[in-house]
Amino acid sequence: MTTKHFACKADEVPQDAAKIVTVSNMPIGVFKLEDGYHALLNICPHKGAALCEGPVCGTTKQTDSTEFVYDRAGEIVRCAWHGWEFDIRSGEFLVDPSVKTRRFDVSVEGSDLFVHI
Amino acid sequence: MFIVDCDCHNYWCSATVLEPYMDGLFKDMFVRGERTGPRGAFPHGHRPWFHPEGFARHDVNPIEEDDNYLIMKEKHLDKYNIDVAILTGDEPIEASTLANPYYANALCKAYNDYMIDYWLPKDDRFWGSIVVAPQDPHLAAAEIRRVGSHPRIVQVLVSHGAARPYGDPFYHPIYEACAEMGLPFAMHLGGQGGINSTPIGAGPSTFFWETHAILPQTAMTHMASLIANGVFEKWPSLKVVVIECGVAWVPSVLWRLDANYKALRKETPWLKRLPSEYFKDHFRFSTQPLEQPKNIQHLWATLEAMDGENTLMFASDYPHWDYDDVNKLHVPPAWREKIFGLNALDVYTRLPRPAAQAAE
Repeated sequence: MTTKHFACKADEVPQDAAKIVTVSNMPIGVFKLEDGYHALLNICPHKGAALCEGPVCGTTKQTDSTEFVYDRAGEIVRCAWHGWEFDIRSGEFLVDPSVKTRRFDVSVEGSDLFVHI
Repeated sequence: MFIVDCDCHNYWCSATVLEPYMDGLFKDMFVRGERTGPRGAFPHGHRPWFHPEGFARHDVNPIEEDDNYLIMKEKHLDKYNIDVAILTGDEPIEASTLANPYYANALCKAYNDYMIDYWLPKDDRFWGSIVVAPQDPHLAAAEIRRVGSHPRIVQVLVSHGAARPYGDPFYHPIYEACAEMGLPFAMHLGGQGGINSTPIGAGPSTFFWETHAILPQTAMTHMASLIANGVFEKWPSLKVVVIECGVAWVPSVLWRLDANYKALRKETPWLKRLPSEYFKDHFRFSTQPLEQPKNIQHLWATLEAMDGENTLMFASDYPHWDYDDVNKLHVPPAWREKIFGLNALDVYTRLPRPAAQAAE
């Protein structure tokens, strides 16, 4: 059973970084991607750092050669401290998807953005 | 117990044994040219560290060339019931120190022919390593293809002293040839001179014993480089054998590699697994000289952290000053059969499996 909590105004969420909010005593990063808004717990499962305050970026696609294919621009957040790469939509660590940060559903009503906890 | 000695040095009294296997320009250079030492010395760029007592055990004193085998047979092979001795030469890996890659290659070719001709027929327990000069990887690859199909050759051997880290794409022709011939690539401690000018980080240390203890740092570089450059993605069957470079450092380097890869995998998108996973599938370390802490449990915990049961292979380093005796190798008892022989059988696939093993 989730509860809807007001997080911020939708237009406060930037395109290329997270809007950091505190909801229900939890630090949360809200991201704006092409397909809408996403929210992750702002605590890295690695060492507890402010995961969502790291750069929003892309990364290299796995290849079979020494080719560097830059992929998924704007869909990855690198933890602010140690640089582990997380999928913003799923909260999964790219190297080992069994390591993930908590993600939350997001809804927008008018200009208000809500996080479902 | 079935015993494979992965580092058994077939010595010579004089490098002039190579003369019959050389011709033309390089034979002239070998016979009349300048060399490091008197006639009979093997041409190489020397280390800045001299062993204060010389390398060999003082109870191994060959006078004639054939004594080298007879003493080895008596004091090592027969005494310890060695079933398989992988011959690792001695001075020939120092060809890697020479600036002239053509001369270095000619010396390696002469050694390989001499070893196949003189040593391999002497004893059924002998299996050979092809020595190559890595400073010209294309010549090295050609040499691997020239003699690599000999049925008693089991690996390709270079010195761990090198002009650049072994994962560098510069060296990839060597791995292509190894994979094609189905041979492991082995590096043995050595080659710290000449063009291999950086065997020690921060510059040359002072004393021989001090230096010998820290020489594994070069092997750390090679292990990291081979993994990071994706050598095992390009050649998934390739095994790398690291000889005489110590083992207790391995877990700490793997922990560091894994940690950094997790943060910065994007630099090497060709990798598909953690560095430590490539290590377990592709690297094998020879035991000698096995570290000797006061508390053996400290060593065993470290060996466990590198999956030593499966990644270690016994080596004696006969007849060198830091020789490890079969009866004094302190590894966990449950691992002994694997470390003394069975792991080597998985790496050196040309070795016949002993009858008891073959039946299983």
